[in-house]
Amino acid sequence: MGFEIPKIKYTGKIQEITIGTGQKAVRVGGATCYPFYRFEGEMPNPARIAFEVWDHRPDDWQEWAIEPYRDVIHDPAAWARKSIDVYGAEMIALQLKSADPNGMDRPVDDVVRVVQDVVHAIDVPLIIWGTANDDKDADLLRKIAEVCEGKNVAIGPVSEKNYKQIGAMAIGYGQVVMASTPIDVNLAKQLNILLGNLGVPDEKVLMDPTTGGLGYGLEYTYSVIERDRMAALTQEDVKLQRPVVCNLAHEVWKTREARLTGKDDEKLGDEIKRSILMESITAMSLAFAGADIVIMRHPESVKLVKEMIGELMG
Amino acid sequence: MPAYTIKFLPEDRVVAANEGDNLLEIAMRSDVYINASCGGNGTCGKCRVKIIEGQASAPIHSKVSREDYDAGIRLACMTTVHGDAVVEIPPESQVDRMALRRKMEIPHVLSAFGSTDFIRGWKVDPPVSKRYIELQRPSADDNVSDLRRLEREFQARYGRNEISIDFQVLKALNTTLREAGWKVTLTVIETDRGIGIINVEPGNTEDRNYSIAFDIGTTTISAQALDLANCSVVKAAERKDNGLDLCTLAELSDYNGQIRYGEDVIARIMCAQKKGGLEKLQKALVKTMNGLIKELLSMGGIRAEDITNIVCAGNTTMTHLLLGVSPKYIMLAPYTPVLASGVSGFAPSGAATDANGAPKACEENEAEQGASGIVIPPVRVKDIGITLNEYGRLFVSPCVSSYVGGDIVAGVIGCGLFQKENVSLYMDIGTNGEIVLGNRDWLMCASCSAGPAFEGGGIKFGMRAGKGAIEQVKIHPVTYEPMVLTVGKTKPAGICGSGLIDIVAGLIETGLIDQNGKFRRDRDTARVRHGEDGYEYVICYAPESQVERDIVITEVDIDNLVRTKAAVYAGCKVLLDNAGLSYGEMEKVIIAGGFGHYIDIERAQVIGLLPELPLERFIFIGNGSLLGARLFSFSRGFLREAERVARNMTNIELSNSTSFMDEFVAAMFLPHTDQDLFPGVMERLKNGG
Repeated sequence: MGFEIPKIKYTGKIQEITIGTGQKAVRVGGATCYPFYRFEGEMPNPARIAFEVWDHRPDDWQEWAIEPYRDVIHDPAAWARKSIDVYGAEMIALQLKSADPNGMDRPVDDVVRVVQDVVHAIDVPLIIWGTANDDKDADLLRKIAEVCEGKNVAIGPVSEKNYKQIGAMAIGYGQVVMASTPIDVNLAKQLNILLGNLGVPDEKVLMDPTTGGLGYGLEYTYSVIERDRMAALTQEDVKLQRPVVCNLAHEVWKTREARLTGKDDEKLGDEIKRSILMESITAMSLAFAGADIVIMRHPESVKLVKEMIGELMG
Repeated sequence: MPAYTIKFLPEDRVVAANEGDNLLEIAMRSDVYINASCGGNGTCGKCRVKIIEGQASAPIHSKVSREDYDAGIRLACMTTVHGDAVVEIPPESQVDRMALRRKMEIPHVLSAFGSTDFIRGWKVDPPVSKRYIELQRPSADDNVSDLRRLEREFQARYGRNEISIDFQVLKALNTTLREAGWKVTLTVIETDRGIGIINVEPGNTEDRNYSIAFDIGTTTISAQALDLANCSVVKAAERKDNGLDLCTLAELSDYNGQIRYGEDVIARIMCAQKKGGLEKLQKALVKTMNGLIKELLSMGGIRAEDITNIVCAGNTTMTHLLLGVSPKYIMLAPYTPVLASGVSGFAPSGAATDANGAPKACEENEAEQGASGIVIPPVRVKDIGITLNEYGRLFVSPCVSSYVGGDIVAGVIGCGLFQKENVSLYMDIGTNGEIVLGNRDWLMCASCSAGPAFEGGGIKFGMRAGKGAIEQVKIHPVTYEPMVLTVGKTKPAGICGSGLIDIVAGLIETGLIDQNGKFRRDRDTARVRHGEDGYEYVICYAPESQVERDIVITEVDIDNLVRTKAAVYAGCKVLLDNAGLSYGEMEKVIIAGGFGHYIDIERAQVIGLLPELPLERFIFIGNGSLLGARLFSFSRGFLREAERVARNMTNIELSNSTSFMDEFVAAMFLPHTDQDLFPGVMERLKNGG
């Protein structure tokens, strides 16, 4: 009798979710096994990468992060197009940074106009990431849900505080919501239950477990995603059977280690290589834990991660 | 030199005050009680008073509306006096002590089990008893000492060695014996360290042996006077055999006089560390006890000299403060009390059961051989300041750890958990939630800081289960109008624990709140509105209430209640996990605590406080601590058993538990994040909401 590898018995399945419309729509989720454990179950959709685009010219990016987008960085729609046309983006994540009340605090209508420009300029699925300010987002994301009607975009972060306002509009205009909770399995589940009670269909919910960058709490996010998946797949916890999205680029690129140059400290080595690796490792780790969508910044990091996912899925 | 006179209404008490004195402090020192639970720092807003006339100044405060302010309403703790004044204490700021006197009623939901006998196989054998003896008169042939004479007769009658006698008794022995014609009654105390003679009185007084059992709570002190001489198990069988009412002559409660020094045990410990603080706290507590004793004596028609002993059960901090021992290290890691043993004269002895498996708690009347360890003999009540008589003894229930005290040990004895063959769960829900799991072979316990929500703390209109407290509420599923019943059927003054459970259960069942405890604003009712603390539901409009304000429950209140119930549920869960057990395996879930006069189990399940088990598995015993204390007084076997139970109970520190926080967050949902645990509730919510 030959040796048989012991296998985990799965009883659940991650909800399959479609974002975007038409030929370029992206499907995520659907797994019946742990991430990349394809010898134990099905993983019909690989982890996807969304290129981040800011709604306003960023003023604190490293030169080497600006470089790939230098010609378009002042124009979100052009930026998004370049990401697709030049770097092969399959999804765009529009970060509504300028709307943040603690920053520029641009009026809702101005920001909504930027969203409209971008959504009309591209044909790949769009993720729209608000300010994480509950009140502003409640207002902003509701309007965005409306103007993006028919585009099946993903809007978030939706919190326990504003899920009712945003959730209701998302139902009305058929958008996907990203349910955001602070690194806790139970809180994630609670928000999913609340969204369900509100009437948001299961196939319209992504989970954002809150992401820390490499060296800045990544392991917490990792553990929580891992536990989400265990509950979803082996403990029949239907309320946790949602794909996971991780908004990691901003977390990685703002760290000190992603900013210091080789001149600041010789031991740290080349800053470009270093920050790209930091972003790649963060993204790959999260994909291993179970992230279905990772939001990234640098085309080189994206390339590395895409290759690796490709190999694992091959 | 007192400059002003302040008159308090409605008591009509006139007291002296100096320029700039704080009104709440004036009230405190003159024993005028104003409801103030924040210690006087203006945060609780409960000490509202009305300045009828005179000079008193207070800043405008967020807890007093403009309209009230103009009508003379002030917070006493923020008010200083600058002249003679007349101050009215409105009903909501008074403490209704009469309401506390009500005897616990068995809840209707559980009435079928009210008469269950909790305890098996015990007989009346009080630790302090009276023995009548007649001595031979001394003669020329027999001129041994008075003491030897006493000893000789006592040994002849009772065949005991290891006899001791109080030094104090000797002083009057010669006159007492002679004046009584050599016919005297000895009061003796029997412990692991032998038998002690603590009093000698003339004549036969064997039928006058009384005791007082105390539950010393952080908030409330309850006491019962017991007739030890006339109590027998035979008599018990004729009456309620549940040990609740057996031979009780009188029962009373009062607020712990220490409340003025802080609402919870931590505040008290802090206070005890200040100079003179420990003495102040000890005196305040004893003063409350003395007051209760006085009233009990007159209610029961008992003479002070016939009370032979007092038995107290309280949490660890209260136990320390009662004895005047510093509780300082109870609050500092790694949380060590000075003592956990009881003041009982007993040491924990070996096995709980005899060879046949029968509990031997009360069948072994002789001092057990091999009892080991330090024994703390009962102290004279006089020595801790209790005004009673010269010889009466004080017994104190043993504790387990810094946060699982003698009240819990007494409760475990009182409800019979320690005798059960199958595993049961005991939960005492007060300011702290304490949980005990186990059976006659093993016991585990934990304490979780649940918060005082069920006693009315941290709830805007929260109050203890006194007169006017809303205790039952039903909300109409279509009109959302509430049906309200109060304690004493008076106009509502506030909401007590059982009322809170009803209200929150009603809100969730009717869909007025979501499972996270937040109001849904799309329901067609004016009762849900935006108030000064966010969204709220009006239970009772001002004209119908005693307090002349709308009685509401706010989202903040619901948050606090959810936190409290989550801590209790999570504590139980962690304890069960530690033992590798589940709720389903519990023979009984025994609930003790001061929710009110009843608890509706189904409602408590809707909010996820209690697990979804068949109703017959639940027992509500009310004050478990008092129940145990009275048993100690009736039978000394229980005192030894308590020492054993306390010593053998395994304490799980939830603060060190990695899973507690997780379970807590999971339980912070209505009824619970894991909805599979509450299938019945979920079904009801689906059909109703």
